[in-house]
Amino acid sequence: MSRLQDLKNTVRSKSIHVCYVNVGSCNGCDIEILACLAPRYDIEQYGIYVHNNPREADVLLITGAFSPQWEDKLMELWEKIPEPKVAIAIGNCPISGCVFNREGSYVDPPVRKHIPIGAEVPGCPPRPTEILQAVLSLAPVVFKDYEGGNE
Amino acid sequence: MKRTVDVSLPIGPVHPVFKEPCRIKCETRGEYVLNAEIELGYVKKGIERIMRGRPWQEVMFLAERVCGICSVIHNMVFIEGVELISDISLTDRAAYLRVIVNELDRIQSHLLANYSYCYTIEHETLAMYLLNLRETAMDALERLTGARVTCSYIIPGGVRFDLSEADARWLQETVDTIDSELTRFVTMFKTGSLIALRSKEVGIFTREEAIESHAVGPTARASGLTHDCRLDHPTYRRLDFTPVVYTEGDNYARIMVRFDEVFQSTALIRECLDRLELGKIRGGGEVIAGTSRWAGEAPRGELTYQITTDEYGRVMNIGIRTPSIMNIEACAHYMIKGVLSAADVTSTYISSDPCIACNER
Repeated sequence: MSRLQDLKNTVRSKSIHVCYVNVGSCNGCDIEILACLAPRYDIEQYGIYVHNNPREADVLLITGAFSPQWEDKLMELWEKIPEPKVAIAIGNCPISGCVFNREGSYVDPPVRKHIPIGAEVPGCPPRPTEILQAVLSLAPVVFKDYEGGNE
Repeated sequence: MKRTVDVSLPIGPVHPVFKEPCRIKCETRGEYVLNAEIELGYVKKGIERIMRGRPWQEVMFLAERVCGICSVIHNMVFIEGVELISDISLTDRAAYLRVIVNELDRIQSHLLANYSYCYTIEHETLAMYLLNLRETAMDALERLTGARVTCSYIIPGGVRFDLSEADARWLQETVDTIDSELTRFVTMFKTGSLIALRSKEVGIFTREEAIESHAVGPTARASGLTHDCRLDHPTYRRLDFTPVVYTEGDNYARIMVRFDEVFQSTALIRECLDRLELGKIRGGGEVIAGTSRWAGEAPRGELTYQITTDEYGRVMNIGIRTPSIMNIEACAHYMIKGVLSAADVTSTYISSDPCIACNER
């Protein structure tokens, strides 16, 4: 492994840009993602920067049970994110639909049908620490040796 | 006169300041906003449709998941609606515990709304202070109910968990902390010259416009309307409660109404803790057939549930009216129209505290 690659790996594991998108959640998971920003959890001490711009993002956090409006939009959003990238499903909704996956509802879970998902964090909603742990443990693994074709 | 529109400016559905997806379409001449329209429908799940025909035990959890930010009030209004149908009475202790949890939920929701506003006008220091203070309120909620969000604390005839003596003392201290910390932050907000420039006389919403657009909650109270559903609530009537009203109707007033309501909520919690007497927290009862309409004051305004149940306790028909829908329309038609720059569009929108998940369901 070249020294340049080592440098890239170090930098990538210390600078993770996060974008979150709500595809039909109840807001519960979104406010827990927001709570990660609070000085108590202080997501930025780990080099994670949360903003909502897919063109700068490395990690996409998805909440919600996938409502039909997002059918074409989510894929578009996913394609806007530059490589290397990973999507994490936050909460029960993107995994199974949670309470909304009943006969007669409009949602179409799971989200992994629509875009590739790297990790899933169950919970209704999961705690901020769990979200933080998922991002921190997954991102370095996915971004390691990206140029080496190790995806 | 023929209107010239320079740019049609779409904002959203995924945008750095939006916590939830929605799209604002603005017609602008230069930076001046001539007209605005808000497009919704990105998080429609059809909750009311799946609620029909299910037992109240299930609908209770679905009602809570209409909105994650103000989940306690959805739980409370639904349960009080069911109690109204079935004539289930409530013990004093349970009634006060409900108010305590509801006010804690209001505190965290208002702090989150004001955090969003400060973040939108790029005052990140104050935003982070407020978000950190919100964690204190979340701790109190967790200690009382066992969960941070969607705690399903309120059940027909009472509440789920009792408040121990030690917890009550701790809650008293927590409320004091919130009060003293927030006093500091509100002074920062009041005296910050950048904040005044970005907030005062921006997004004006007059009393007449508020009446015409049926605005509710803090948005209406910042424009001089005194309507507050807590005035009609049996438990709140026993407490010392008068709505907070501002008359300016700009972004600054809307944020200040929320700050003042947090102080009011802490006062209400203290009063409830003083009046709390030992006793049962749950009574008995059976859900019977009937129809009721019950409204409560959510952090964003009036929330109404119309419920029809059958003799087995199933919910046969349900209608929910959430506060944000009126405020969002009022925001698009009156507040955003006429703001001087595109940067003020987002801050004005956030100042009306829209909750998209609530009003699309």
